Amino acid sequence: MGDEIPLGDKGDGTFYKVLIIDDSVFMIKQISQILQSQKFEVIGTAADGQEGIDKYKELHPKVDLVTLDITMPNVDGITCLEKIIEFDKNAKIVMMSALGKEDLVKKALLTGAKSYIVKPLDRDKILSRLKSVLSNTN
Amino acid sequence: MRVEYINPFVESSVNVLKEVLGLQVRRENVSLKSKALPVLDIAVIVGLVGQVEGRVIFDLDRKTALNIASKMNDETLTEFDDLAKATITELGNMITGRAVTKLSELGYKFDVTPPAIFTGNNMEISDVNIEALIVPIETELGRVEVNVALREKA
Repeated sequence: MGDEIPLGDKGDGTFYKVLIIDDSVFMIKQISQILQSQKFEVIGTAADGQEGIDKYKELHPKVDLVTLDITMPNVDGITCLEKIIEFDKNAKIVMMSALGKEDLVKKALLTGAKSYIVKPLDRDKILSRLKSVLSNTN
Repeated sequence: MRVEYINPFVESSVNVLKEVLGLQVRRENVSLKSKALPVLDIAVIVGLVGQVEGRVIFDLDRKTALNIASKMNDETLTEFDDLAKATITELGNMITGRAVTKLSELGYKFDVTPPAIFTGNNMEISDVNIEALIVPIETELGRVEVNVALREKA
């Protein structure tokens, strides 16, 4: 991306704030590193769906973007998605799951997720999807 | 175990390992076992529930697990700590997720449970009345055995 403006730069001197919801510390680390390389600010992480809902509410309205895993203990990512959208219909949520089943992808998008990325993740995959999410919703 | 179940696991194991490691990966001969199996030091277990039920075990020795976790994290991990465990667990989750996605395209409906990891010496896995398919995969970082046992719900 060279000298271009980093993707996390809102253009007004501030940076997009992200909440990462994933039960794997490996995934949280990988997603954080990719986002931080583009100046996104990771302002919270959660290890299951319930913690994700609680964190979103606690941090609202500061969260600009949520990355959300699906297969998690206690409360899964689809339920978490429904609850966050119920609370804030404008939430920008990007699903990141190892499962790419068509019915699940459809359900997530119909419920209000802005995009759905199938793991394994890589830098280009994440950044190109976020770019389109951020340009479509601003 | 029906043969349609097997290929998606074989393919996703090889392909996901290739993608996350960026290395050559070779599948060895597949075998079937119906008795208790000794496993290596580290075993990740993902459960499958729905129209088909069973489990997938990813089995590897400590050195291979550390090598793979280091490569996936882009840093040298010297201990099998929480990050290393989470990395290997996620690898199992990604392989299973892709296989389940493929099986769902073929019309089999089921879901995965969050993976669990076990570490120890001289572990043995016993599944009652369920035949397991063993897919050994050789990578430059060591060998991973994928052990799939599935059956249709009665």
